[in-house]
Amino acid sequence: MSPDLSCLVHWILFLPLVVAAFSAVVLRRAGTIAAWLSTATAFVIAYLAWIVLSQVPGDLVWHVKLASFGQMELGFGYLLNAHARLMLFVVSFVAAWIHLFSIGYMADDEAKGRFFAGLSIFMFSILGIVVADNLLMTFIFWELVGFSSYMLIAHYFDKDFAAAASKKAFITNRVGDLGFILGLAFCLQHFGTLNFADLAAHQPAGGWPIALGALLMCGFLGKSAQFPLHVWLTDAMAGPTPVSALIHAATMVAAGVYFMARIFFLMTPEVLEIIAISGASMAALGGLCALAQTDIKKSLAYSTLAHLGIMACALGLGHPELALLHMTMHAFFKATLFLGAGSVIHGCHHEQNMLQMGGLLKKMPITATAFIIATLSNCAVPFFAGWYSKDAIIEAAFHGHHYVAFGLLAIAALATCLYSARMVRLVFLGSAQSEAAEHAHESPWTMTVPLVILGVVFSLAAGFATSFLIPANATVSIAEPLHEMAFSFTAPATWVGLLSLLAGWAALKFYGIFPGKDSLQVFSPRTYHLLEHRWMDSFYEWYLQKVQRRVAEFIAFLDLLLINGVAGRWIAAGIPAVLGYFTGRTLHRGQTRGYALWIILGTLLLAWCFLAR
Amino acid sequence: MPDGLFIFFAALTLGAAALLVLSRNPVTSAMGMILALVGVAADFFLLDAYFLGVLQVLVYAGAVMVLFLFIIMLLNSDDPTGAYPWKTLALGLATFFLLSAGVLWLFQWSGAVPAIATGPTPPELSNVPSEFTTSAKSFGRLLYSKYLLPLEIAGFLLLVALVGVVSLSKDSNSTAQN
Amino acid sequence: MEHTTLAHHLILAGLLFVIGLTGVLIRRNLLVVYMCLELMLTAATLALVAFSRFNHLMDGAVLVFFVITVAAAEVAVGLALIVALFRQRGTVQSDALNSLHD
Repeated sequence: MSPDLSCLVHWILFLPLVVAAFSAVVLRRAGTIAAWLSTATAFVIAYLAWIVLSQVPGDLVWHVKLASFGQMELGFGYLLNAHARLMLFVVSFVAAWIHLFSIGYMADDEAKGRFFAGLSIFMFSILGIVVADNLLMTFIFWELVGFSSYMLIAHYFDKDFAAAASKKAFITNRVGDLGFILGLAFCLQHFGTLNFADLAAHQPAGGWPIALGALLMCGFLGKSAQFPLHVWLTDAMAGPTPVSALIHAATMVAAGVYFMARIFFLMTPEVLEIIAISGASMAALGGLCALAQTDIKKSLAYSTLAHLGIMACALGLGHPELALLHMTMHAFFKATLFLGAGSVIHGCHHEQNMLQMGGLLKKMPITATAFIIATLSNCAVPFFAGWYSKDAIIEAAFHGHHYVAFGLLAIAALATCLYSARMVRLVFLGSAQSEAAEHAHESPWTMTVPLVILGVVFSLAAGFATSFLIPANATVSIAEPLHEMAFSFTAPATWVGLLSLLAGWAALKFYGIFPGKDSLQVFSPRTYHLLEHRWMDSFYEWYLQKVQRRVAEFIAFLDLLLINGVAGRWIAAGIPAVLGYFTGRTLHRGQTRGYALWIILGTLLLAWCFLAR
Repeated sequence: MPDGLFIFFAALTLGAAALLVLSRNPVTSAMGMILALVGVAADFFLLDAYFLGVLQVLVYAGAVMVLFLFIIMLLNSDDPTGAYPWKTLALGLATFFLLSAGVLWLFQWSGAVPAIATGPTPPELSNVPSEFTTSAKSFGRLLYSKYLLPLEIAGFLLLVALVGVVSLSKDSNSTAQN
Repeated sequence: MEHTTLAHHLILAGLLFVIGLTGVLIRRNLLVVYMCLELMLTAATLALVAFSRFNHLMDGAVLVFFVITVAAAEVAVGLALIVALFRQRGTVQSDALNSLHD
């Protein structure tokens, strides 16, 4: 442990907080200054995170005890092991480029100051989750991240659907956090400590209790949009595109995966099984549903859901390091995809419907190139970044004899190629379908530079880069599968990949058949509707209206009857009324004699109490 | 058997008190009160508290009761001729008998009161020697040493009462100065 | 017992007190009620003197001195109040002074 480098972490963590406070208070009107300040801060943090990643040998631990309430200790500290340092770098690096992109994207927005203050608060919160060394601190920053997300989704708060979406995101997260809190309490009661290092050191003899893992998993379900709490992610697209890129693709939703990797040692096989199946199912379904979305951001949101499912599946199969690897690669290419979508939206003057776009390859070449490269990474084309992680996971499923997961992941891979091809075909190829697409132009440098860096450089080369650029000791748990990846025809994952790519190629042709219309919708409206309909939302709607409302009304009725009526009017008010009637008649008649009598009786009573020992 | 003198004065006092409580005419009640006070003063004499006995007669029976009589005459008040409601009488009698029984039991038979003074003076009461004497001189000595503060406060209290009475008695319509 | 004991004096004081109490409860004339109140006070002083005598201390007697002083001041003020009340209401009967109607 070296005090100089923990000082670095202090800077990394608290600089965005200071900047956020400063922006919120002083720079409300001066949006541009706030924007550049935030962005500069983000780059500084990214640089510091690089230093932490590359130059710190071993784990970095720092702790200070803030307060203790009986057994529970409120401690603030950093536990920077290999996972944490990698995540720190990824988060801050991607965030820095997204900050730069936002300057261009939000150039004509009036509330820029508020937006960038929100981004800085988000940085503080997510970095807090990354470095936290105990469950309570994680939870506090967890909630802060939820708040930042709420604030940023509701950036266009005058639009009803944006406000509703932000509420939905926050509330759904909260439902998951109920499990988190219960898990915290359980952990504290059983083990007396919430510190990760302490917990790891004292494994109980009979293994960890199932309840602990299951409860803490609930937080992960909410934050990383797993079934059944995935409903908020697509609605969260109501926020500005940089927010979608940063929070709902690269970092916040990945925080859940990171958290699970951090507490992986607490998970029991049963819990892992559930996570694996649930994740794999979500991967398959998410990918298929992405085929039925016309809004480019919603389609990408479903894609994110699918990838989160893949990460969850990796966790469930027992490979947290693979999940983290995929999270890293996903952060790069998904951020690029979202930023590309943002660039397209910006170029087409805020047109978000894919069916209205087309032919943008010629009009926005840089965006298109970055987007296509990121798509290839998404589809796990060999030697692109996504290939390393995704195929490793599919391999792991097969070799672990987990054939159900393997099958679902195969379907997911297939679906990925299908929807990716669809997206590229509708947006960039073919001819322009609307006025806006006709007059589209390339975006300014603030938007294209991040696209190039994240898209071209990292989505392409991150796979290689990881093994060469980042020292082995920093990502020791991740480097292994990286070095093992090789292109071989005997691996089942390769076959899955090839089949998917063929399907993707076919889809490219398929979606060009009817310009301006979705070919699937034309050929098979029923399938399209099946994929498009939001089943889970309908279920929640039904549940809320039919079940919960009725229960609540019943309880309200009971409350009115029992608590207001019986306990309130009859007992609590009735007894004084009866007593008051009688005593009023006797005590308060206005005659001094009566008062004298009561005084005497009272005094005698007191005297008796004191003297009769 | 207690002293004959004590019994006589005790009977006198109790009889006068009964007169006070039971008579219709308030002037008669005042007379009864004076007589009761005289009886109590006699009891003080029997208890060797001569100074206090004289004080009682002079101040209480002499000044306070005279004031009472003045006011009774001034207000020309009478008890109404109607009978007392039975509830009041019953309450009063019940209280009287119950409490008298309680008093008798407490002091005579409960053993809470020792027959003669027991033991030496408790130490916390004797930081200034206040041995019981019958002389007024020791009274004065004690008053001006141990009880100086209460003495001053009593004087102040009398002043306040004086001012209060004067202000209360002022007629709101009168134009008299002071 | 040849002599009067403490208990005798206390019984006398107690009975006087009870009689005064009964008077307070029964009588309707405010002045008589006030006199009975003073009777209760006197009974208390009697008890004090008895205790002082039987404990060989002067403190009780000095306290009686102060009680008499305070009683005198209190009577003066109380009577002034009754006179003021009479001026307002024209009566000193406690029944007629009832403002809280049943």
